[in-house]
Formats: sequence, C-alpha cells, structure tokens
Amino acid sequence: MAAGRALLGRARATPFVCRSCSQSFQIRARRMYSTRPNDIYDVVCVGGGPAGLSLLTALRVNPVTTGLRVALVEAQDLSKTRSFSLPPTQFSNRCSSLTPASAHFLDEIGAWSHLQRGRVQEYQEMQVWDGVTGARIEFDWPPGSASSKTIAYMTENLNLTSGLLKRLDELGGVDVFDNSRVQGIEFGEESEDADLREWPVVKLSGGQSLAARLLVGADGANSPVRAFAGIESRGWDYDRHGVVATLELEGDGWGGEYSKIAYQRFLPTGPVAMLPLPGNYATLVWSTTPVNASLLKKLEPRDFLAMVNAAFRLSPVDLAYMHTQDQGQDDELAWRAQHTPVDPETIPQAAVGVQEGSVASFPLKMRHADTYISDRVALVGDAAHTVHPIAGQGLNQGQGDVQSLVRAIEYAVSHGQDLGAQMWLEQYNSERYAANHVLIGVCDKLHKLYSVESGPLVPLRSVGLKAVNALGPLKSFFMEQASGTGIKMF
Amino acid sequence: MEVASSRIRPATRTASKVCAACTSSSTSSSRPFSALNRPPPSYPGHVPLTRVERAGLAVGSGVMSLLNPYRHDLIAALGEATATPYFIYRLRDAMLSDPTGRRILRLRPRISSNTLSVEKLRQLPANTVGRAYVDWLDREGVSPDTRSQVRYIDDEECAYVMQRYRECHDFYHAVTGLPIVREGEVALKAFEFANTLIPMTGLSMLAVATLKPSERSRFWSTYFPWAVRNGVRSREVINVFWEEELERDVGELRAELGIERPPDLREIRQREREERKRQKEMQNQGR
Repeated sequence: MAAGRALLGRARATPFVCRSCSQSFQIRARRMYSTRPNDIYDVVCVGGGPAGLSLLTALRVNPVTTGLRVALVEAQDLSKTRSFSLPPTQFSNRCSSLTPASAHFLDEIGAWSHLQRGRVQEYQEMQVWDGVTGARIEFDWPPGSASSKTIAYMTENLNLTSGLLKRLDELGGVDVFDNSRVQGIEFGEESEDADLREWPVVKLSGGQSLAARLLVGADGANSPVRAFAGIESRGWDYDRHGVVATLELEGDGWGGEYSKIAYQRFLPTGPVAMLPLPGNYATLVWSTTPVNASLLKKLEPRDFLAMVNAAFRLSPVDLAYMHTQDQGQDDELAWRAQHTPVDPETIPQAAVGVQEGSVASFPLKMRHADTYISDRVALVGDAAHTVHPIAGQGLNQGQGDVQSLVRAIEYAVSHGQDLGAQMWLEQYNSERYAANHVLIGVCDKLHKLYSVESGPLVPLRSVGLKAVNALGPLKSFFMEQASGTGIKMF
Repeated sequence: MEVASSRIRPATRTASKVCAACTSSSTSSSRPFSALNRPPPSYPGHVPLTRVERAGLAVGSGVMSLLNPYRHDLIAALGEATATPYFIYRLRDAMLSDPTGRRILRLRPRISSNTLSVEKLRQLPANTVGRAYVDWLDREGVSPDTRSQVRYIDDEECAYVMQRYRECHDFYHAVTGLPIVREGEVALKAFEFANTLIPMTGLSMLAVATLKPSERSRFWSTYFPWAVRNGVRSREVINVFWEEELERDVGELRAELGIERPPDLREIRQREREERKRQKEMQNQGR
C-alpha cells in the first residue's frame, strides 16, 4: 500500500523520485500481489503516429511533466520507422503539409532537428484555381511583410515519425510497447494497494496490462480507446478516394529551387493537388470518385502521367472522357493540349515520371467525435477528428491538439492535481473543440461548393474567389488562419 | 535496411508534346481590345470583333435577314455573332463528350464538292441518306459549296464546330424531309434550336411572323410541337458523322437518332395548291 500511494502521490510529494527508487517499490509490489496490472502509468498513449509521438515527446521535454511515467503502445514495428532511409530520388507517397505553427512546435520539443531536413521541402507560394471557370487565387506572402516567406513544409509522414522517434529515444524515459496490439481495455480492480476501479487498464497482445491515470487515444480513425470511452464519432463518407503518387517533374518548378510553388485545381470530381518535394519531385493528392481512382491505379505509367498532366490542363469535359478510356490517354492529351489554351507558368510543370509502386488510394471521410475527453481518457489527432484533405490541415490539427493537451496536463501537474480527472482535461476540450469543428466544417463546405459543375453557383463562387484574391487583408487573414499564426478565433 | 529498388519511369515524349503544345497554343483569349489594335487572327479568314462591333453585327444582320431571308450570308453572320459567350462552347463540349463527336473534331472533315462526290451519290439507292441529300440538292438547285466560311468566332476549334453545323444543315433537311420553303426552314430551325441551342436558330423562329396565316397556324399546331419534342429527346445531330452514314437507310438513321418523321410538308402544300386551283376553277366555271 505504501508503495502504491507513493507512486500515485508522487507528483505532490516528491516530483523527482529517481527511477530506480520508484521501480524498486514496484518490483516489491509485483511480487506480493499478482492480480495487479503489470504496470501503472501516469499517461499511456495508444498510437505511435505523429500525434502520439509528439505528445510523448512534449511531455518528456516539458520540465513540469518530465517526471511522469509514460508508455507508448503501437501495433506496428517501430524499428521500421526508426530505420527509415530512402535515397534522395525516392519519396514515400504519404506526405503531409506542416504549417509553420506545427513546425515551430516540433522545433520547440526538439524533434525538428531530427527530421531528415534534406527531404523536407518548404514552399513559398500556392496557386489555387477553379477547374470549371479558371478563377484563380494566389497565396503568397507579400514581399517584405512576414519574416519568413514559407507557407508550409511538405514532409513525408515517415520522415516525421522517424524524427520524433529519434528524439524520443534520445530523451528516454518512455516505455515503448511496439508490435503490441490492444486486446482490450477495461477498468481495473480494487486491491490493497490501489483502487483502480476507475482506471482504464490496457491489455496488450504480449500479455502485459497497463493501468493508466490518463489514457490518450492517438490511435487513428477507428480508435479502440474512443470505443472504450463510449464516445460517438459522427460524420459521413465523402464517396471519394484520395489517390496519391510520387512524381518526377520536368524541372524544379517555375520559381526555381528556392521558391517552390504548390498547386491545387478544383475539379467537379474533387481537388487535385501537386505539392513540391526536394529536387524535381512532387507528390500528388487527387481526390476523385472511387471508379476514377480504381482506373487511375490500373493505368500504365505513361497513361497515368497523361491523366495527371491533363488534370491540371484540360477542361472537365475532356477529363471526364479520358476517365472512360482504358488506355490511350497519352494520345488524347497530346491532341487536346493543342486546343486548350493555357499559360504554362500558371500550372505545374509537366510530370515526366512516376515512382513505381507509389500510386495508391485511401477513402475520404469526415468524422468528429462528440467530445475529446472522458474520465481518464483523452483523444487526439485522427481519433478525435477526420477531415477532407482539401486544405492539408488534418495532421496540423492533431499537432494543435497535442499542444493543448500538454498544456492541460502541465496545468494539472503543476497545481498538484490528478491529471486524469475530467475537470482538468476540460480545458483541452474547450480550447480545441470549436476550432477543429470550424475547420472541419469549412473544408467540408469548400468540397461541396466546388463539386458543383454547372448552374448559378459556379459564376458566384468564381466571383467570390476573385474577390478574396483581390482583397489583400482578407487573403492575409485566411493565410494566417491556415498557417496557425493568426488571431485565435475560437 | 534493404530498400526495394524503384525506377522512375520517364515518359519524355509526353512531356515534350505537352510542352510544345502549351507554349505554341494561341493565347488569343478574351482580353478586351480596340478596333485600332486587333489581335492577330487565330485561323485564316478570322476577323476579331470588339464587343460593340459584335453587337452591331448581331442586330444588323438579324433585322436584314428577317426582311430578306435569301441573304444566307447575313444569317450566317447572325449565327456567329450570337454564338458566344456560352452557346458555341456548350456545343463544342457536347461534341467532346461523344466518341463520334471527338472523332469529327480530330479529323475535321469538310463537306464540299471536293470531298463529296455528287455523281457517286446520285447512283445510290433511293432510300439512302446520300441519295436523299443529293436529290434535295438538285431539287433546290444548290451545291454543297454555297456555305460561307466562319469568320467571327475567335476560338479556332469553335469556328470549326460552327462551320460543321452550317455544312450539315443540308443533311438535316435530308433526314427530316422538310423542304427549303420558308415554312420548312422555320420548322427545321425550331428543331435545330431544341437540339443544338445555337441562338441564331432560335432567333430565326421570329420569321414565323412573315408566314402566311394558314402556314403560321400549321406551324404552331403541327411543326413546332414536332420540332421541340424531337429536338429535345433525340441524339445531338452535330455528333453524326454524315460522311460515314451516306449509304444507310434514311428511316433507319432517323430511328437511331430518335427523330420521328414530320408530316410531309411538300405533299401538304401540294394538296393545298391543288385545292386552291380547283376552287378557282369552280368559281370561274360558276361565273
């Protein structure tokens, strides 16, 4: 009992009990009571993706929370992530756009320097236009306004997670259970040492069971932690698939090596985006119907490249026709490009190669959990919300969640409170819920607005887009909101 | 850790084709210009017009062609002046949505006495499209060369679409069987408007005011409903590759397109003429 209370009340009495002392108490406890869970942790994070790894790194770095006992549970083998290394001519096809706010946070927790910086591409300009009318909006910071002209950083997800893992290994102090699937989560039992009836206990496939003062679900859209907490996640499927690929372009961009440009065109079937990577490479994210997505995956590389180039050049009528062909899009593009006038510098340079095996697709959906917290449970990242990739915000929202949750935990610990109590987690929920909800809603409405192919809405939305493009302060406002450096609205 | 080798598949032929096409394509877009500073023509015979000039052409040619419907050059000019901004692009997109239409746009066939041998058409069996066409040409005393060139449409591909429509107009006469008299033309124009949405065809329906009362009543009661019903539900006639359909049976092609045969206007008019002649004879005899 003394051992248990010493562990539970550690934050209040002695914030920096050395590891060996606390472990020696535990070993004694384990020998005496075999029905207790193997280990009791302050924070157990289920999910080793960007959100989970950031959370644990931030907790370890923060001087207030650095003494907490934390564990990471991940179903996949993390050694593969740790040993991520690809040659400079190959890039993973799952990439994300990190906003300056997220990059700043990663730098604060010391993970940024562990990313392979040569594989991270910052871009300074973004061209977005309507595929039906050609109305265009150009995002770039006006010269001389902001200190850095970077809009965002394009990073491979694996690069990000491997950098975070390296930092976590450097910091130490985390019990990592990788290759362990969660068999079940239930409440603990009462025993002489501790009353764990309100504590979630995670049972792993390796036989261990971990009791958590705070169980954090960073385990993706089908979160078992969220299911355990009984939190509903509501939303809808978009009936769209996001097709991704790594492409080689004919040059390193119209702005040259040091001024990269991201492109997005709104087609009636969904937006197609070409995001720059180091060198002549770029990553494609094309949200389109499931039928079109399966065709794109089956095409020969030559025809696939023709479809990609056509997506940025040809009219929706031509694209719809080319989606009905099994082959020969190459020829069709060559003909139609002669009769479709387009200024080549306003669209991405032509794609000349596709990385073998990089064409893949994933279904798009929108989900938002009813709440992010419950007794001794918190949700971050995709477990809490899933958003359309139209604005590249999903991963950044997760990083924002992590920052807010760390602040809430820090507050509770520094005030000597039980960090798993819902009262102290409420701050996280109220800080993040409304902001995330608005962003998810905006992305959803943008998707719906640009799905309309004809009718009065088309010229109206073009007028709106051109108006925003012309109104400098309004455009700057949107850019600041998207990059996370703007005024906090919610 | 061993990484699977991966090749970037170059497709330089595509790139160079796309690049060349993009940089060489004309940027003759809709930038406003003055009459003193016209952009260069997009195709031989192209005359870029300012908006005021286009409006003036539309009004002038509309009024004069109503007063003198034999001025087919004014009717053509009216068609070109009113086709932009939306209608000719819609028609071109309708062609691009159809495989045959795309083939037509690719091959750019022209109908003239060079490409269509009238002698060979005269030898076709009586029920074929080609024979109906050449019989009609002979009866009306026109040749396939009487169509004027498109001049006032800025986009080169849309200019071809307009030219194709103009050259196929005679085939529409052949397929529907409507004669070239004012009444038949108005009925056919109503059908074309319902099918192709070219504004000139709709405006031509104003010529109803110039018809005789009996003709007008016949138009509203019979031919106008026929035109609307068939124009809307049939296939786009602009997508028919006429050069390949010359030896087909007319009735079969009509059925495939979804056009029902209108009452034979020539026969009706013939009967009316005979009726009038008989009545006049009776009056003369009675006197």
